[in-house]
Amino acid sequence: MNERRDPPHGSQTPTVHEPATFGQLDRLWADPKGLWGQLTGVQNDKIGARLLLTGFFFLILGGSLDSIAMRLQLAIPENELISAQVYSELFTNHGSVTMFLVILPIFEGFAILLLPLMLGTREMPFPRLGAFAYWTFLFGGLMYYSSTLFQLVPDAGWFAYTPLSGPEFSPGLRLDFWVLGLGVAEVGAIAAAIEIIIGICKMRAPGMTVNRLPLYAWAMLITSFMILFAFTPLIMGTLLLELDRGFGTRFFDPEHGGSSLLWQHLFWIFGHPEVYIQFLPATGIVSSIIPAFTRRRMVGYSWIVVAMVGIGFLAFSLWAHHMFATGLPPLVLSFFAAASMAIAIPAGIQVFAWMATIWSGKPVWDTPFLFVVGFLVLFVIGGITGVMTAAVPFDLQIHDTYFVVAHLHYVLIGGVAFPIFAGVHYWWPKFTGKRIDERLGRWNFWLLFVGVNVAFWPMHRVGIEGMPRRVYTYEAGLGWELENLISTVGVFICFAGIGVFVWALVQSWRKGRPAGHNPWGADSLEWATASPPAEHGWSVVPIVHSRHPLWDQDELDRGDPNLERFVRGLAEWPLKWRAAVVVGTADARPQEVFRVADPSFWPLIAGGGVALIFLSELVKLRWGAGLGALIIAVSVIAWNWPTEPPMSPEEEAEFEAEHDVAVNAGGSVIISRWGTGLGILFVSIAFSTLLLAYFYLRLENPAWPPEGATVPALGPMVAATALMVATGIALTVGQRRLADGGERSFVGTLVATIVLAVAAAGVQLWEISRAGFGWKEHAYGSIFFTINGFLVTTLGAALLMIVMTLYWTLQGTFSARRHAPVTNVVRFWLAMVTMWAVGSATITLGARLL
Amino acid sequence: MALDEVGSAAAEGGVLDPHGPVARVAEDLWWLMFWLGLAVFVLFAVLLALGLWRRRGDDVPRDDEEARLTRWWLVGGGVVLPIVGISVVFAATLAGMRDTPTEASAAADGALEIELVGHQFWYEVRYPEAGVVTANELHMPVGRPVVFRLTSRDVIHSFWVPALGGKMDLIPERENVLVLQADVPGRHVARCGEFCGLSHAHMELVVVAESDADFETWLSGIGETGAPTGDEAARGEEVFASADCIRCHGPAYGVPDDGQELAGPDLTAMARRASLGAGVLENTWDNAAAFIRDPAEFKPGVDMPANDLSDEDLAALLVYLGYDR
Repeated sequence: MNERRDPPHGSQTPTVHEPATFGQLDRLWADPKGLWGQLTGVQNDKIGARLLLTGFFFLILGGSLDSIAMRLQLAIPENELISAQVYSELFTNHGSVTMFLVILPIFEGFAILLLPLMLGTREMPFPRLGAFAYWTFLFGGLMYYSSTLFQLVPDAGWFAYTPLSGPEFSPGLRLDFWVLGLGVAEVGAIAAAIEIIIGICKMRAPGMTVNRLPLYAWAMLITSFMILFAFTPLIMGTLLLELDRGFGTRFFDPEHGGSSLLWQHLFWIFGHPEVYIQFLPATGIVSSIIPAFTRRRMVGYSWIVVAMVGIGFLAFSLWAHHMFATGLPPLVLSFFAAASMAIAIPAGIQVFAWMATIWSGKPVWDTPFLFVVGFLVLFVIGGITGVMTAAVPFDLQIHDTYFVVAHLHYVLIGGVAFPIFAGVHYWWPKFTGKRIDERLGRWNFWLLFVGVNVAFWPMHRVGIEGMPRRVYTYEAGLGWELENLISTVGVFICFAGIGVFVWALVQSWRKGRPAGHNPWGADSLEWATASPPAEHGWSVVPIVHSRHPLWDQDELDRGDPNLERFVRGLAEWPLKWRAAVVVGTADARPQEVFRVADPSFWPLIAGGGVALIFLSELVKLRWGAGLGALIIAVSVIAWNWPTEPPMSPEEEAEFEAEHDVAVNAGGSVIISRWGTGLGILFVSIAFSTLLLAYFYLRLENPAWPPEGATVPALGPMVAATALMVATGIALTVGQRRLADGGERSFVGTLVATIVLAVAAAGVQLWEISRAGFGWKEHAYGSIFFTINGFLVTTLGAALLMIVMTLYWTLQGTFSARRHAPVTNVVRFWLAMVTMWAVGSATITLGARLL
Repeated sequence: MALDEVGSAAAEGGVLDPHGPVARVAEDLWWLMFWLGLAVFVLFAVLLALGLWRRRGDDVPRDDEEARLTRWWLVGGGVVLPIVGISVVFAATLAGMRDTPTEASAAADGALEIELVGHQFWYEVRYPEAGVVTANELHMPVGRPVVFRLTSRDVIHSFWVPALGGKMDLIPERENVLVLQADVPGRHVARCGEFCGLSHAHMELVVVAESDADFETWLSGIGETGAPTGDEAARGEEVFASADCIRCHGPAYGVPDDGQELAGPDLTAMARRASLGAGVLENTWDNAAAFIRDPAEFKPGVDMPANDLSDEDLAALLVYLGYDR
């Protein structure tokens, strides 16, 4: 080990002092043991670790083994080792798995595992949603990978361009595995993103104000918003593709008013942000590691935050640089070129902030830091070639060549995988309590660093020499032989590096030296807890006074006397339910103590329901989708079933009076409001994607509606919308009454809402039934029925909520004090009414005015 | 498998061996970005190395150091350096785009029009002015802009001749326009640039840039090519009809009278093309025989079925198609 310089302030970083209630808390927060515990567990440590392990499992399968097979085939020209069919499957699988099933779960796993410790809180806000995210991800991954067992591996590329991926050119089930398996996994990704956003915004240690938020948390916050805004359009895009494939719609069929470029837009609106969705968490890890290994605070904290926010916004304005060769007008090309190049500014700010920190400090060359230095070198190379690919005339030359393969692997391996390795080496001791052998760590690093350069550097050259991507073979005599052979050797070196990595972890797990609580002398909160941490993480929730609490604070439980009393009080009360603290988003002052959800079987069942819907489409037993929807409805109702709170309102009020912080043993009011808000955001983004598709198809079609299709009538649309608006007004008023204790009149409101909404739906359905055209003749009919279907489905979900609310109101579940679920249901209803009005107006007026 | 005849041309330096103005724009841009990128990387690497290994004291840095660091590193390295760099590259990009010939500028320069239609996995080549239709081999005159009108009959393909310029996609629902010009004679291979299915790797178009005179000779040669005469050729014609070649390829000579679109490549003068099957084989008697017998052996996923012809029928067919033993 290297000799360490003392941290800037204090010779020893503070550690936690466990109170007498430690054992009780630890038991309270532990998930049940045994198989049942594994199936019902919701603890963030468990969910996070599972996501990480599953992600690494898919990395070995789809990241490593596929690339070895491909490189063996390309090692020599005109090789006959692998057929064109298998090669197409390999590169499709490699891209799909690494983009959907590897990096995302690894980063979401890191976040769910780390954030509660790092932010000084006991759990993530919705443990059951976290469990649901894991199960859906696992089911989706397995469903996708089962294509291998049936020898129906998708073969149209990870981007699945239409029409190649459509029903005409990809008959059979290959592409359905791609759409549906990955679709399930994407649902999981979005669920975890919502969980992470709320965790970072609302669940932190008192005193951890926004400007003391660790940079890693900033990175994950921005990333999670990006996941919400990028993956939702992708889910909708793949839904349209599946409708084309399974139900005969014409969204992407140019012969019937569809557009193959619509798919490219929908795909890259997701696809390019996806790159930064992978890159930002990596920079968060780097910004955590560099201070610890240079013994210096990160230079330019605010600059880095602004840069990351900038990347988040810019990422959504440059998708078309993947489409330079599709014939976009020059003005559009220049816009997207400029936006793509502009990314160099926020990226440059981050790189130079890291460099400045290294300059001002004194590096300690342990493995995590080695990986960070490797990251800097490889990422800067990938960034420079990235700017090159934005230069349109040059890009038209190297687009879809090995130059791009080289560029993207420098960015994704150098810029993303290296920080992942750094992060594993860095945080492994915290969660296992054991050190990783430094010598193996060095081998791990050097093999990967050399391997990546040997494998991918020559690809720049062979790309410029004209070798296209996605060819399973190439002729001899083109001058590409040497580069390809070298690349193959490089991939084997990388593979050896990954082998050493796995071996190092196994070694450490079996006989690693004990790590102690803070082996690296780092500055962030997680290093104050024991390694491995207790089930509940924090007995005494820390009070934060600094951006670097472990360097600047001698004690973690000292501060404002009221706060001190609060955090100590929370270590001893309540010991019969899992209590966590909600804080103000900006000022981090405690707002609420609430009961975190217990272990539950229902997230697994709900995940199964989601998987069943997709699976029934895959095997074309479509009644299964109804069953899946029923399972989801039942399990979501069951998991939100209002149980008798384990504490009376009087007991709650007592703690409230003493500490001036609201107590909700029935479940949080604040974070459920956030959850509802983000849920509505998710549905709205999905809906907006459909509107986008509507207008794009309108632009592509000279006649709208096409000849023979009727224009939807105005009268029924106005009538249905008026009825829906009336329900919204009624509910808003009724809910006010409930808050004033008027439960009876609220029942009447609910009944009226149901009646009016059903009437509105009836009018709409009657009008649809008179449409006089189907969804199969033309893209116009396809989008008409899809938007209507979306509205009816959303209405159905909202109606179910209203019916359950009616039931629970009659049961006397809600009172003036405890009626948060009602407020949230009303919010969702109002959002649904808004979408209904916008959707109906678009369909009816779009056919007249546009 | 190698195309001996085009092999030498294919070994050209790709993007860095421009034969025309469009490719030259890209090459100039590349060298500018290469040197600029190299300079940025060297600057970065030197700073990083100094930061990692410079000697330094154990003094605790002063409080105002962060402000100084921010000023120099973040503003200088993080903002000014990238802005200068991308401004140069963006200006060069715009200049390059401006210098790239457009449909309008090409029309003013007396451009030739060529229509290119992508199919799985071959290129249909049409010369509308001359009324000539051919496949998988494209000739163009040097020193004169060529307006390519690009579309596809099935999935998305791409047309890319590295020596002449950047690529453009062949998309079913639209017609894309790409203007290229060859300044010197040469023989190039255009490889499909967008994954289009199993034989994406076997979708090649031979592009021959040649003098006006040679080009005119070639073009009129295709139009004037007629079926060989003699008994064997007559028998070949019968085989051509009975084996149902005609359904996808149309008449072996000339274009269909009704202007009907064909599912397979036009075969007029196919024996004179450099390659067979859109670049999979050198165009010889034996290769053509083997290809007709079992196209999928050379071209996975191809629509053309295997043909169980007797040796005599096959030989007659080849003679009819213009091959010499």
